[in-house]
Amino acid sequence: MDAELYLDYNTVIHRLDARTKILIFVYAFMVLVLFENPLWMLPIATLVVLHTALARSWRNLWRIRALLAILTVWSLILWNFFASGETHLFWIFDEQSLLFGVARTMLLLLMITSGVNLISTTRNEELVLGMIRLGLPYRVGFAISTALRLVPTTAASLQTIAQAQRSRGLDLDGGNILERMRKYVPLLIPVFITTIRSTNVFGMALESKGFGAREDRTFYLQLHITTLDRIILIGGGLFVLVSIYLKLRGYGDIPGLSRF
Amino acid sequence: MKEVVRMWQNTRMIILVALSAAIYAAFLIAFKGGIVIVPGITEVRPANVFPPIFGLLFGPAGAWGSAIGNLIGDIFGGTFGPGSIFGFFGNFALAFVPYKMWGAVFGLVSKDDMSTTTNTLKKLIAFELVTLVASAACAVIIAWYLDLTGIVPYAFLAITITVNNFAAGVVLGPILLTLLYPRVKRWGLVWTDIMDKEDVAKGFSPNLGSILMIVGALGGLVIGILVAVSAAGQQVYGFSGATQNTAVWLIVLPFLLLMIAGGFMLSGQEQFVEEEWD
Repeated sequence: MDAELYLDYNTVIHRLDARTKILIFVYAFMVLVLFENPLWMLPIATLVVLHTALARSWRNLWRIRALLAILTVWSLILWNFFASGETHLFWIFDEQSLLFGVARTMLLLLMITSGVNLISTTRNEELVLGMIRLGLPYRVGFAISTALRLVPTTAASLQTIAQAQRSRGLDLDGGNILERMRKYVPLLIPVFITTIRSTNVFGMALESKGFGAREDRTFYLQLHITTLDRIILIGGGLFVLVSIYLKLRGYGDIPGLSRF
Repeated sequence: MKEVVRMWQNTRMIILVALSAAIYAAFLIAFKGGIVIVPGITEVRPANVFPPIFGLLFGPAGAWGSAIGNLIGDIFGGTFGPGSIFGFFGNFALAFVPYKMWGAVFGLVSKDDMSTTTNTLKKLIAFELVTLVASAACAVIIAWYLDLTGIVPYAFLAITITVNNFAAGVVLGPILLTLLYPRVKRWGLVWTDIMDKEDVAKGFSPNLGSILMIVGALGGLVIGILVAVSAAGQQVYGFSGATQNTAVWLIVLPFLLLMIAGGFMLSGQEQFVEEEWD
């Protein structure tokens, strides 16, 4: 597992305030679920691709290419079972259901891409501070931020323990499903124990530094909303509102599509 | 559900949230693709054993940890997307239900020995019961939302998630709990040793709450699948039929509400008993 998905570039997206980047993700999510016609999804798709290009987050998308490929094939085929249309093409494929399948696939891929863009351009601490500034309680933010930092360490200790157990003859790949699952016990127990045993020391260290002593907190890291942030937030908000308005007016559907 | 909020005032509980989230996420990421059930779609995830264990050992901290851990698993695993939202709530339930129900499983867990371990046959049965209900609750929450948004059909996803969660719990859970409980107890990290009894919800009818939770989770699973299969034409473990079928999500909605009501009626205070451990 690669510990860090953040890409250390100095792009215009990286320089945006963390709150702006979180809200861009939320905006994308809201607009993407509105339309079922892929043509109507093209504007938001273009914006997401532009966002990816500006953020230079292609590298992270490339790392999950196998997953994206599987999702694409699966989704393109699957949705033709759940919809039908007036113009039959072949086997399960109608023109309308195929279009719908393309739209659902775009939905999945663009949502994942938006998530990757957010993670690729925002450091963990910025992300958590952004969420805190947007209303998340500090203590919850602290737990998320600590967990994000600990995942690579825990994953590394899991790898070490797995190698040690394999060297002692543990074969994780043999046997039926039940046998294979039981073989995970020698991994699950040591990782749990080594991670959890530090709780009390961790707690004392935090409290000795005044954790939880005051409700109002100051942060070393400072976030600043710039003019560009404001333009993006207002523009994005308008884009969402216009999209909702168009959806309410009945645009963005696929004529002739039946979803049973 | 008072303790779900109150626990954030306790430093050790906050740390347990972070640590459980890190463990869960690390295993989710490391074994993505593990033992495949349906290629490209789902697999048996050994990590799914953790939420019920976290719930029973760490109470509300385990519930938050499981929810956050699943979210982080999605982020690092590249699957952060539409399913992540209710994946958060589903995984929260997967840990929340076991600790809330533990003291109200129809006498299977004695009032004199509420220790969250499987050291007797009755407790083993109690563990399997709460894990089954939690697995179904998690499945109903996630599948309801994904069917509602038209992403994956209810009948397929609900049964898949239930089997996935329960398989890990039933095979690995008792072993892990038996081995881990004494150590966690010795370190003073069982949630009833950290939190004050007054910070835990009294629950106005734990036994009825337990029944509502069971009916909500298992009823939502079974009735939802039956309606999906008959009304919407979906097939269990097959890809046919319709999603966004009003009948499916309208029928399942009351079961979700039953689970929420059950959550408020259950307590957890009954687990605050003096225990003798050597």
